[in-house]
Amino acid sequence: MSRQFNAAREAYKRMDIEGFENLKTVKKPEKTGGLLTRSNTMSKETDGLDYNNPAVRVAKQMQVIRKYRDEINGDNEST
Amino acid sequence: MAITNQPSFDAPIPGQSLTAELGARPWQTPSRFSTVDDTIDYYMERMSSEEFMVQLTEVLESGVPVTSIANTIQLSSVMEGIHTVDVGMLVLPMIMEMLMMIGDSAGVKYETGLENPNKPILRDSAMAKAITEYEADLKNKDEVTETEDKEVEENEEPTGLMARRK
Repeated sequence: MSRQFNAAREAYKRMDIEGFENLKTVKKPEKTGGLLTRSNTMSKETDGLDYNNPAVRVAKQMQVIRKYRDEINGDNEST
Repeated sequence: MAITNQPSFDAPIPGQSLTAELGARPWQTPSRFSTVDDTIDYYMERMSSEEFMVQLTEVLESGVPVTSIANTIQLSSVMEGIHTVDVGMLVLPMIMEMLMMIGDSAGVKYETGLENPNKPILRDSAMAKAITEYEADLKNKDEVTETEDKEVEENEEPTGLMARRK
């Protein structure tokens, strides 16, 4: 195995799939007036996660894949 | 970051980036996908193809770690101008997870590459050497104890009423 620094290894280890849901959404002060103000219907918060954070989006995708992977591994172990 | 004392000869020479017109390289132009979502969709589609899965399974079987494959995929996409380096870094864990999922579904025993690279690897040859040394040690100890026993037996002076006087 190479002893060189591997970015993938560090990135994977630092990705906290279990803990990302506890991240608090950073709320920006909302503008109230003006024609171009974003309406509430445009920024739907489905499960309270901060989807403006790209790491959260990646973590969510990873969570789905991990779940699927666990299912595969569970099936392999039982057979 | 691991720092090696050995000189690296595979690095670009100073000024190499100026040998082509600015913007002539794909990574110097605006990337095809600028968001994480678009990039994830691109990788999902690419990795879902059967051709990719077959090739990946072969590579994983040959013992190449998942981290190296993910890094190579990400870096080549950056070089092709598909996404930027920072988006690539963000997407890396997802690529790794996807690669491992393909490996799991194919039933391949793969190397993740997540282990500590500085941890010394126990090789079979080292193990065999240790065993032979241990066996030689045991043999030596047996010989030493046998000779000691003999010496003790020889040095033992007979005691008792019938013992010969000096």
